Amino acid sequence: MSVTAEHASPRRLAWLTDPLRLLMSDSFAVAGVTVFGIFVLIAIFAPWIATHPPYESALSPEGRLLRLQPPSAEHWFGTTTFGHDVFSQFILGFRIALMVGVLGALAVGVISTMFGVISGYFGGLIDDILMRITDVALSIPTLPFAIVAVGLLGPSINNIILVIALLFWRNGARIIRSAVLTERERVYVRWARAAGASHLHIILRHILPNVFRVVFLWITMSVAFAILTEASLSFIGLGDPSVVSWGQMLNTAFSSGNLRTAWWWVVPPSVALVMLISALYLIGRAFEEQTNPRLRRN
Amino acid sequence: MRAYILRRLAQSVLVVLAVTTIMFFMFRVVPSDPTVMLVERGISEEARQALLERWGLTGSLWEQYLRYMGNLLVGDFGSSFFYRQPVWDVLLPRIANTLWIAVPGLLLGALIGSALGMVVGWARRGGAVERGGILVATIIRGTPSFIIGIALLAIFSSWLGWLPGFGMGDAGGATGLARYLRWDFLLHLILPLMAVVIYFLPENLLLMRSGVVENRTEDYIELVRAKGVSDARVAWHAGRNSLLPLITWLFPALAETIAGIVVIEIVFSWPGIGRELVLAVTRQDYPVAQAAFFLLAVMIVLANLAADLTYGKLDPRVVYK
Repeated sequence: MSVTAEHASPRRLAWLTDPLRLLMSDSFAVAGVTVFGIFVLIAIFAPWIATHPPYESALSPEGRLLRLQPPSAEHWFGTTTFGHDVFSQFILGFRIALMVGVLGALAVGVISTMFGVISGYFGGLIDDILMRITDVALSIPTLPFAIVAVGLLGPSINNIILVIALLFWRNGARIIRSAVLTERERVYVRWARAAGASHLHIILRHILPNVFRVVFLWITMSVAFAILTEASLSFIGLGDPSVVSWGQMLNTAFSSGNLRTAWWWVVPPSVALVMLISALYLIGRAFEEQTNPRLRRN
Repeated sequence: MRAYILRRLAQSVLVVLAVTTIMFFMFRVVPSDPTVMLVERGISEEARQALLERWGLTGSLWEQYLRYMGNLLVGDFGSSFFYRQPVWDVLLPRIANTLWIAVPGLLLGALIGSALGMVVGWARRGGAVERGGILVATIIRGTPSFIIGIALLAIFSSWLGWLPGFGMGDAGGATGLARYLRWDFLLHLILPLMAVVIYFLPENLLLMRSGVVENRTEDYIELVRAKGVSDARVAWHAGRNSLLPLITWLFPALAETIAGIVVIEIVFSWPGIGRELVLAVTRQDYPVAQAAFFLLAVMIVLANLAADLTYGKLDPRVVYK
């Protein structure tokens, strides 16, 4: 027993290290991971980087509101139409984007993994019922549902995350289920079953580590979908008014009619959104490419 | 085959029924009182009851549900709280406006995207064309549609001043088809249409590229090459076989994209169904919001059905069970 344990220990974490090694072999994915890492660092230190409170109105020495000022030494990215500091709002936006992305994706990951594993592993009637539920969920138009749900529930960041979780588990459940279906038929799973291992043991020790790659891919994509959904809702005007998000900044610039002139206000949140979402897509793409043997380059 | 179609049809009807039910209860259970917006304050109780009755808001939730589903069956969505006219009259022109940017936008996006995808897929593996193509396509795919819209507005409307970026132009009293056959309308159409094309293009490109890459090492490609035909024709052979997954993906993508055009309509103030949905939600005009949502959901169900059925038509290896 101790011999096998020792023998197995270097590969014990293979489910985690293998996907990471795979990422590091693709230069686009490395770039994506780097960008994502920098964004996470900025998000963590955001309150110390921001130079002004996000809703503080900048006043001139004579007490006049400094609205729509171009970038200057005092306001690095200029000011908004309400005299708020664009740089500080932009920096605090990193926190909101990553918070929504990570929390939303974790919720999506848990729900879709549970759905996929239970459906794929047990099969039969359970599988039928869960997959019919997934079919119905897949027929719900994504953004319109988000608009209606947030409109009815009220525009708060919690409701936005809830809507993201309700929307994006469905595709993940399908993908994870089909991965589980192939794992289930492996010989060692049958042996484990024949040896009297419990379902829970088999799922935790054999199925989950082997489908982790698929789960990881789906969580990565979900971070991007979550950020995109929050940004779209905020841009439409259904964002949480009490937080500063990039979509919110663009919405304010748009609805106040300054979209075309105040470039210093519009460019930073736009560039940050594109960089963050593209970085996540680059990571996801590397996974798809490396796990599909017909696409892999030898 | 016929049995398969019938079964898929029945399935689709059930899915629509389920989505409609979810939607009905979402609208009725969540808001405290749907009549707040409808009924003016200080109105007498009698007049209020009469109004509620007219809008189908009396009786228990179940009675309302059954009445609502019954009305849906005959295509009656009720009347808009805001416009005070039948929902159909509000939505029909909006749907037409959306189709004006959606259909040509999606077709052009699919055409240009898959053509470029063929080029990128056939390029040398690891070369500048392949890597550059993938990188640019992924970055565009990662660009939210409203940022595409903002960029187009900034470049063509503000900076160059070539094109208008707001609304559909002056109708000049024209109605029906004449409304759309105006030079002014076409000018207003260009930017939102471009936004849809750019928004839809990268996914087509990437999908086509994977298809070509998967096919280029197949034996039949070697055979075609051995026949001595030109490189472009060999590429076309690989590309044609990659069209199949692309087409089946296209239908659901079309439906989902029409739903996603909402944000582009907002940026360009294009009076389409998506923008109307947002306006209806913020105005608490539930009949319009419900109907718009319902139509979008039905579109997705139909698109999935069409995808399943065409797949078998195009690929003789598919056997219907």
